[in-house]
Amino acid sequence: MNTVELIEAETVSLKTETFIHLPLGLLGFEQIKKYLLISSPEEHPFLWLQMVGEMDRSFLVVPPSFVKHDYQPEISQEDVKFLGLVSPDDAVILNIVTLKEGGRAFANLKGPIVINKLTGIARQIIPMNSWKYSINHALPVEE
Amino acid sequence: MLILSRKINESIIIDGKIKVRIIKIDGDTIKLGIEAPSDTPVHRQEVYDEIQKNNREALTTGRPVLPRLGNKSATSSPDKKAEPQQILTK
Repeated sequence: MNTVELIEAETVSLKTETFIHLPLGLLGFEQIKKYLLISSPEEHPFLWLQMVGEMDRSFLVVPPSFVKHDYQPEISQEDVKFLGLVSPDDAVILNIVTLKEGGRAFANLKGPIVINKLTGIARQIIPMNSWKYSINHALPVEE
Repeated sequence: MLILSRKINESIIIDGKIKVRIIKIDGDTIKLGIEAPSDTPVHRQEVYDEIQKNNREALTTGRPVLPRLGNKSATSSPDKKAEPQQILTK
């Protein structure tokens, strides 16, 4: 995976940007296949999935361990094959976050993004047990 | 729209690679078996629509102020990474 580390002189923060390829796009955004996954310590544990060439269009994402500790989406054989996953350790899962008024935030546990961290290939999947999970899971936001 | 009549265990083939078979009919419920290549997404329409709508709502312009996640992440412990072994089940 192609990771670029940028030291920002002013903030002295370590920002990482990783190219992610979604060959099928996200649902509703099928035509957009190239994204940058951007993380910085100030925004931890959130990350940005930003459309390449569209500086101003991105999705906020968060690892499920910060949302629901017993989250276990069942990934179909078709998705495992599509992503070229050999070992479960190669998979990174992220949930898309929707920000709403009043500082509230909700994670989509029904349609997670799965990334093969060895290749940067990703897909928004619908797990086989998606019925168990909410598309609007409230994040524990501090007042 | 093309409309075809099929009996149980009969199928249709789409584009030479997607096979849809009638598995079972029980009242107003029909069980379909679908064989498609792994790069052809097959979803229940209502779930697909729900996720598509959610993605559109989640699209963000600019860099808004992010909320802080509270300690009462009750069900989660931020330092503990999800066990990847448990995530892939099949």
